[in-house]
Amino acid sequence: MRIVIAEDDPLLREGVALLLRAEGLDVVATTDNPDDFLLAVDEHKPDVAIVDVRMPPTHTGEGIVAAVDARRRRPDLAVLVLSAYVEQAFATDLLASGSSRLGYLLKERVGRVTEFLDALRRVAGGGTAIDPEVVAQLLSRTRSDDRLDRLSPRERDVLALMAEGLGNGAIAERLVVTDGAVHKHIRNIFAKLDLAPDDSADRRVTAVLRYLENGRATPGRA
Amino acid sequence: MPSADAQARPWVARARAALDALEHIVNGLGTSVLALVTLVLLIPVTALCLIGVGLPLAPLLVRMVHTVADRERARLTRWGPDVISPGPPPARLADALRHRGTQREIAWVALHAIAGFALGALGLTIALDTVRDGLFPLYWYLLPDGEAVPSLGLWVVHDVPGAFAVALLGVGWVFVSVALLPGMARLQALPGRRLLQPGPDTDLALRIAHLTATRAAALDAHTTELRRIERSLHDGTQNRLVGVNVLLGAARRALTRDVAEADAILGRAQDAAESALADLRAVVRSILPPVLAEGSLVGALTTLAANCPVETRIDADLPGRYASSVEASVYFIVAEGLTNIAKHSGAEHALVTLARREDLLRVEIADDGRGGAAEHGGTGLGGIRRRVEAHDGTFTLASPAGGPTTLMVSLPCGL
Repeated sequence: MRIVIAEDDPLLREGVALLLRAEGLDVVATTDNPDDFLLAVDEHKPDVAIVDVRMPPTHTGEGIVAAVDARRRRPDLAVLVLSAYVEQAFATDLLASGSSRLGYLLKERVGRVTEFLDALRRVAGGGTAIDPEVVAQLLSRTRSDDRLDRLSPRERDVLALMAEGLGNGAIAERLVVTDGAVHKHIRNIFAKLDLAPDDSADRRVTAVLRYLENGRATPGRA
Repeated sequence: MPSADAQARPWVARARAALDALEHIVNGLGTSVLALVTLVLLIPVTALCLIGVGLPLAPLLVRMVHTVADRERARLTRWGPDVISPGPPPARLADALRHRGTQREIAWVALHAIAGFALGALGLTIALDTVRDGLFPLYWYLLPDGEAVPSLGLWVVHDVPGAFAVALLGVGWVFVSVALLPGMARLQALPGRRLLQPGPDTDLALRIAHLTATRAAALDAHTTELRRIERSLHDGTQNRLVGVNVLLGAARRALTRDVAEADAILGRAQDAAESALADLRAVVRSILPPVLAEGSLVGALTTLAANCPVETRIDADLPGRYASSVEASVYFIVAEGLTNIAKHSGAEHALVTLARREDLLRVEIADDGRGGAAEHGGTGLGGIRRRVEAHDGTFTLASPAGGPTTLMVSLPCGL
C-alpha cells in the first residue's frame, strides 16, 4: 500500500509516517501544504492519501479542497481525512460525492493504532471509515426522530457501527455476536427506518448517513 | 483645576487662571481671524447670489463655515465640556440653508468674527501692555529721546524715577489682567458654546453612534483575542498532544517487536509532551500575565524592563491598582513596545512613562533609535492599536526616519 501524507504539523507528520513505516507500510511522500501534496499525488501515484483538514495558507479547509482535487485527478485514490475536531460541514462536503474510498477521522484516533490501521485498510479496500464521534453527533442530533426510537439498544449499536463504515464481519466482531445475528439486526434496522436494504457496505453508509443527516428516509436512492 | 496647594495660595491659582485665559484668548483670536476671513467672503458671495451669479460658490462657502466652526469646536473641547461636531452640512444648498445647524454656524461666524476678534485683540493688548510697562525700566533708555512712552501714550519718560513709575503701571496691568482675562476668555467662548452645540436630538444620535462604534470595537477586540487564543491552542498545544498520542500508540505497537525501538519512540513522545506544556504556558501567560495576578503593575513592568536587552527606565506615578483588563492591556502594550524597540529600533535607551491624569492612564514609550516605525510593518503596533481602541483609548505614534520614536497611549481607567 503506497501512502502520501499531507499534514502541516511536523511532529504529527513524522509521527504518523513513523507509525506506518513501523507497520511495514510504504509511505512514499510526506508534504506540509496542499500544492506539494497534489504534486506528490501526481508523481507517486499512491493508493491512499492521508490529509489534514487545516493546512496553510489560511488553515481553514485547504485539506478538503486538496483532497477533492486529488480525487478528481485520480478517481480511484482512497482518501483518509484527519481533523482536529468534528467539522460537520467538511465531513458532509466530502461525502457529498459518495462514501466509497473515503475516511474522516479525528486525529486522536491515530493513537489507537489497531483501529486506525483497520480504517486505513478499509478505505484503501474501497470502503468507508467515519469517526465514531461524527456518527454520535448525527445520532444525537436526530434523536427527535421517533423512528429511531423504534430501534432496540442493540440495533442502535449496530446502526452506529454501520454508519462508521464497518462491514458485517467487523460489526459482529466488535459486538461479539455471530454474523447471522448482525445480518438480522441490519434487516430490522432498514425495515424500521424505511430504508431499502443493501449489503454493500459503502452504499449502506451513504444511506444511513443521509438518513441521520436529514432525519428522513430516501427509499430507492440508497 | 484647583489643587490643595493652589487653595492655600489663591493668588497662585489666580495667576495661573489668567495665564490659561491668555492662552485661550490667543487661540480664540486665531479662530476669530478665520471667522473674519469667512465673513468677508460671505458678504460679497451673498450679494452675488442675490443676482444669481454667486450660486456656484455658495456650497463651497457653507463647507468653509462648517470647517471653521469645527476648529472652534475642537478648541472649546480642549478646555471644557465636549462640543461635538454634528457632521457636515446637507449637500444641497437649499437644504443646507434650511438646516438649523448651518444657520447657527453662520450666525456664530458673524458674531465670532466681530466680538471674538475684538475680545481677542483687547486681551492680547492687555497682556502685551503688562509686559511692556512691567519691563520698562530695563529698556527705556534705549528708546530715542521723546519716544519713551508707556502704554496708552500717557506721558513721556525722561528719567529713572519716571521709568519706575511706568513699571508701577505695569503692576497695575497685572491686576487688570488677573481680573479681566478669565472673564474675557469665557465671553469669547460663549457664542461657540451656545451656537455650535448640536441640538438635543442630534446630540443623542451622535452619542449613540459613538457608543455603538466603541462597543463594536470592544466586541471585535474580544473576538480577535478569543480567535488568537483558539489558534495558539490549536496550532500549539492540541497538535503537540495529538503527536504525543500518535507516538504513544506507535510505542505500544513497537513494544511487542523491539523494546529499544519502543523506548526511542517513547523518548520522542516525552519531548513532544514537554513542548506541549511549554506552549500551554505561553498561551496562559498571554491571557493574564501571572506577574500581574501576583504583584503590582509597576512591579511587573519593572521586570519587563529588566529583561529588555535595551537599557530601559520605568518612570511611573501610579498609586493603587486598576481594573485587571486595563492593567493587562498596559502590560501587553509595554511588552509589545519594548519587544519592538529591542527588535527593530537599534536604540540604546528607552523610557517608559506612566501617569494618571483624572480618569486617563497615560503610557508613553520612547526610545533613541532609528525611528521609521510603521503600523503596517508587522511590528505588533496594530495589535497595540486594537487593544487600545477596545478600551476606548487613544494611540499615537511619532517615529520620523532617523528617530526618535515615541508611542503614546491613553486608556480610560474608570477611576
